[in-house]
Amino acid sequence: MKTKLLLLVLALLALSSPIFAQGTGGSAASGVVNWVAITSGFSMAIASGLCGLAQAKAAAACAEGMGRNPGAAAAIRFALILSLVLIESLALYTFAVIFVKVV
Amino acid sequence: MQHHEQIWLAREFNKYVPGLGNAILKLLRLPQQHNPWANFMVMEIIVLLVIVLLFAFLRPRLSVDRPGKLQHIFELIYNFVHGESEDAVGHGGAKYLPFFGTLFIFVLICNLIGIIPGFESPTIEPSVPAGCAIATFCYYNLVGLREQGVGKYLAHFAGPMPFLAPLMVPIELISHMARPLSLTVRLYANMYAGEQVTLVFLSLTYLAVPALFMGLHVFVSLLQAYIFMLLTMMYVSGAVSHEH
Repeated sequence: MKTKLLLLVLALLALSSPIFAQGTGGSAASGVVNWVAITSGFSMAIASGLCGLAQAKAAAACAEGMGRNPGAAAAIRFALILSLVLIESLALYTFAVIFVKVV
Repeated sequence: MQHHEQIWLAREFNKYVPGLGNAILKLLRLPQQHNPWANFMVMEIIVLLVIVLLFAFLRPRLSVDRPGKLQHIFELIYNFVHGESEDAVGHGGAKYLPFFGTLFIFVLICNLIGIIPGFESPTIEPSVPAGCAIATFCYYNLVGLREQGVGKYLAHFAGPMPFLAPLMVPIELISHMARPLSLTVRLYANMYAGEQVTLVFLSLTYLAVPALFMGLHVFVSLLQAYIFMLLTMMYVSGAVSHEH
């Protein structure tokens, strides 16, 4: 099984050699590649994705806590709002960097 | 960095009183400009007028026996801010209520006024949240210095034990410097992103979808005003708390 997987990976890498044909074509052709836009797209996507994961964990903990202890719902809700806003602000730092450096 | 086109109010200001704007710029030693009244400056003046008129309208109508509707609304807001400050700062928290309440109402009205067509939130320009954050920074440091004295306040940067001081002082300094930065960026980026998202969806479709995002923007405005006030309270609480 493992040798089959290894051979498959090697075959895929070998078959991707047409990529090398594109290298010089891109830089000599119609203008410059806008790396800043591409990078900012990727960085915003990574930041938003990780922020989404973190907020999901916070929301899950809040829901479980409220389910176990409905009497403490007000305090748990307060902690949830605070943590959601603080996590959101981390994704927004990336957004702010994009708008300071790109636009 | 960002080029907002002028709202109609800023155009009127620039048409009729550009001299006043340039005189103020000269007073602050800033370069004179063709359109001295920026959008956010005009909108901040509008917010100021709204707040002053609202409270001027409220004050004569305050009554103990027969409170009117406006008094009920402001009692709600007052009790809310009072309760939060007692929770966050501790028992004597209501001393700092004027600053917290002003900050909350100012940021709230600044955020919400952008919903009205023809007006623009001043908080989408980074200098306005920066001003509020610097005011908060100065306020909590001054309050801490006044409450605990200069020596004790500076000593609490060293941490719980004296031998940890070389480690704790840089950490504390950096975290204190990061506070106005994070307050600014959080408020500015939330408001700017909300406006941009609404505009993007407005350019794609109309009626229902941009309205949903505008509704989200309203909710985020309320939340961000509350969070700004709450974080200010937590910083003040960190500055004035000491073991009695």
